[in-house]
Amino acid sequence: MNTATWSQVPVRGDGTWRVVFVALAALPLLGLLVFVAWPLLLIVLRSVTGDDHAWTLTRYAALLASPRILQAGWHSLAMGATVTAISVSAGFAVAFALHRSRLPGKALMRFALLLPILSPSLVQALGIIFLFGRAGLVHQVTGWNIDPYGFWGLVLANACYGLPQVVLIVSSSLERTDRRYYDGAEVLGASRWRQFLDITLPQCRYALVAAAFVVFTVTVTDFGNAIVIGGRYRVLATEIYAAVAGQLDFGLGAAIGTILLLPAVLSIAVERMVARRSGRVADGAMVVQAPRNTARDVGLGLVAFLALIPIFATTAIVVYASFARLWPYKLGLTLANYHVNLADGFAPIVTSLEVSVLAALVGTALLFSLALTQRRMHGPFAAVSSFLALLPAAIPGLVLGVGYLVAFNDGPLSGWLYGSIAILVACNFYHYHAQGYLAMVAGLRNVPVALEEAAQCLGAGTARRIGEVVLPYAAPTLASVFFFLFMRSMVTLSGVVFLVTPALNLAAVAVMQLDMNGSVSQAAAYATCVMVVTGLAVAAMRLAAARASMMVKRSRHVA
Amino acid sequence: MDAIHTDAARLSVDSLGKSFDGVAVLHDISLQAQAGEFICLLGPSGCGKTTLLRIIAGLEEPGIGTVRLGGRDLAGVPARERGFGIVFQSYSLFPYMTVAQNVGYGMRIRGASGREISSRVDELLGMTGMAGHADRLPWQLSGGQQQRVAMARALAVNPAVLLLDEPFSALDARVRMQLRGEVHALQRRLRIPTIMVTHDQEEALVLADRVACLNEGRIEQVGTPREIYARPHTRFVASFIGAGTLLDTAFVREYAPALLEGRPSGAETAFEACVRPEDVRLDADPAGDARVADVQFLGSVARVTAQWHGKLLLADMHPSRTPVPGDAMSVWLDPSRSVWVAS
Repeated sequence: MNTATWSQVPVRGDGTWRVVFVALAALPLLGLLVFVAWPLLLIVLRSVTGDDHAWTLTRYAALLASPRILQAGWHSLAMGATVTAISVSAGFAVAFALHRSRLPGKALMRFALLLPILSPSLVQALGIIFLFGRAGLVHQVTGWNIDPYGFWGLVLANACYGLPQVVLIVSSSLERTDRRYYDGAEVLGASRWRQFLDITLPQCRYALVAAAFVVFTVTVTDFGNAIVIGGRYRVLATEIYAAVAGQLDFGLGAAIGTILLLPAVLSIAVERMVARRSGRVADGAMVVQAPRNTARDVGLGLVAFLALIPIFATTAIVVYASFARLWPYKLGLTLANYHVNLADGFAPIVTSLEVSVLAALVGTALLFSLALTQRRMHGPFAAVSSFLALLPAAIPGLVLGVGYLVAFNDGPLSGWLYGSIAILVACNFYHYHAQGYLAMVAGLRNVPVALEEAAQCLGAGTARRIGEVVLPYAAPTLASVFFFLFMRSMVTLSGVVFLVTPALNLAAVAVMQLDMNGSVSQAAAYATCVMVVTGLAVAAMRLAAARASMMVKRSRHVA
Repeated sequence: MDAIHTDAARLSVDSLGKSFDGVAVLHDISLQAQAGEFICLLGPSGCGKTTLLRIIAGLEEPGIGTVRLGGRDLAGVPARERGFGIVFQSYSLFPYMTVAQNVGYGMRIRGASGREISSRVDELLGMTGMAGHADRLPWQLSGGQQQRVAMARALAVNPAVLLLDEPFSALDARVRMQLRGEVHALQRRLRIPTIMVTHDQEEALVLADRVACLNEGRIEQVGTPREIYARPHTRFVASFIGAGTLLDTAFVREYAPALLEGRPSGAETAFEACVRPEDVRLDADPAGDARVADVQFLGSVARVTAQWHGKLLLADMHPSRTPVPGDAMSVWLDPSRSVWVAS
């Protein structure tokens, strides 16, 4: 019949790939041990040992005996709780307006929500000062004396920062609610209000709990806004900075850092519970179309406007102020503020770009190989590896930064790491390791198992399976993880603030330093530059992800 | 005919067992496929049929037992080195490769030259009715066309065994019927030993030379479609394949003693009689002891459900003379057509 019985031709052996596979698993795990587990261990150890290395709880006793620290702890709690209450309720309303209303201008709403993600976390505080400060627009126009420094200024700034994260979390559960629930309730005769109480709220309640914990943790451990607008309202995040960067008291820093681990650990536990409870919703949920309801839309529109206008205004005013001749007295435009009074000028932006590109490149590669090999791991080894991969979620950036100081300013790796770009890259990558890892694992779930098996039966070895099946399907995820790491790395402040040196500065830290030197307009100019870079990165990400996911979408009915 | 596909192609599975996390999913499976034979693994979902196919493919390790091809033990031979062809329910084509690149994939891996590949691809696309689609991408094809390409890709290397995992399940009814016919003709022509997993009894009866009925990880019966239908060995096979009524021994002794003749000896509860609806005669009879409970119109026949001394008896009647619910009927069962199955 035919002479070509190619099934009898031997295929090439797969032996060397075993070694490569082991290396692919070992490298990211080694990184996690050195750059996450080790610094974390040292921080906790340092907090329970004295300067003579004997076990002691004196550091904690000292914390409890210090009225200054106790007050800062109380402030952190009060500020965190207030911000959480405001962000969660306003964020829920905004998410609801986005997904369950017929309001126009949703693209604009989404744009406003994107702004805090694009900017260093102190931009909101900077904007509030430009608006309400003694040299602010409001005072200039009305003559009112408002003091934005302190509790309310900090709450407003952090609420602007936390709200978009609430919207993200709640939106995902609103999106996954199947329209047929509402259709069913409608046919059974339930009123709109009943439908909200019986379907919408129960569907979102776990997301709301998770969002509350995330916002609380983020605001309590973030320090960009606190240092700019906190004034005399001291919180734990600024205390740890003062202790470590100001007094070089690593022991005190370690003790506060260990305490700051608690809310983060708690929030992970809650998130886990939420993920289990909310279960997996089948694909193909029908999108809910909001019915016509003018009263609802007017109400939601008002709330969304009130919630989003501060976010938009604080960012916009920073950009505008960066071009103003003499804020707020001479509002004519100039580029003078872009000649910054820093010894190294715009070099920190270049360094930030380098660090961010490296963190994104190295990070994406390491996360991909970890997620790839994780699929083949079994038993306790797999459990340990996924625990290590998710551990960074429990470590606030501040604590990670202090941990790096403790671990790497002396010891075997210090000569190579301290004051180098590598330590900044590592800090930024491992700070966001858990989120990147989860995205990568979810992305690899899109790789069709049947296609991999078909390739295997056709004779494809490991290298071909990775190159011809896994990579094409993982491409959109690789692109989004790359840009996620890049953007976070551009704007984050809380970890790297401990690690920069006069010779090696980063953009986000430079903004803070300019503000502390009193050059607020230049700080605004610098922050604007950072926002432009991250904004471009977002645009590039959207483009790349859209192109890459085109193939995956088309192939949903193929593979 | 191809020499390889005569003696050497004999696939045999011996005393195979498999458990996942301590739960046994396959028990003592033995099965042989002769050269050119089409075997269907038929059973309800969860019966272990897909696991068995995956073990044969080498995608899953057997717990115990062996899989042999032409006498050679395949233990430790990975799927990629077995040279089998496989087609899944999901079409599983490379989405960024053209139809021709998909079909030529297995040959490219084995280092065939461009000319060899393109002539073989043309041949396969012609055979599967996909000539002229060589440069299309998978998403530009319908489901039935994609499955034809998947078939061509599996056949391109002239596999020693062809494995089909519910290949028609994702297609709509009309395409499914058509493709079924094409696969049947193709397999008859190429005489590649083929094992197909399905839960669709009609598909199994139409395609297979022999059907292996699986239930809870065990093969209950292997036989030609006729044997399986007409001479089921067990209650499961009788009830899973085709329609019918099962009557226990005490009932038969009371109301249809003529059937007792064929009963194997054994305990009272060890066997039940199975009567197919086409072997039951119902006659309108005011003195009859059965009463019509329901009539379903199936097109070529009407299926009557009759209440008969507490049993629901199924009988096929010509649609032109169907009774209505409540009619009294007399029952006649053909002793030569009824069969006793192990309960």
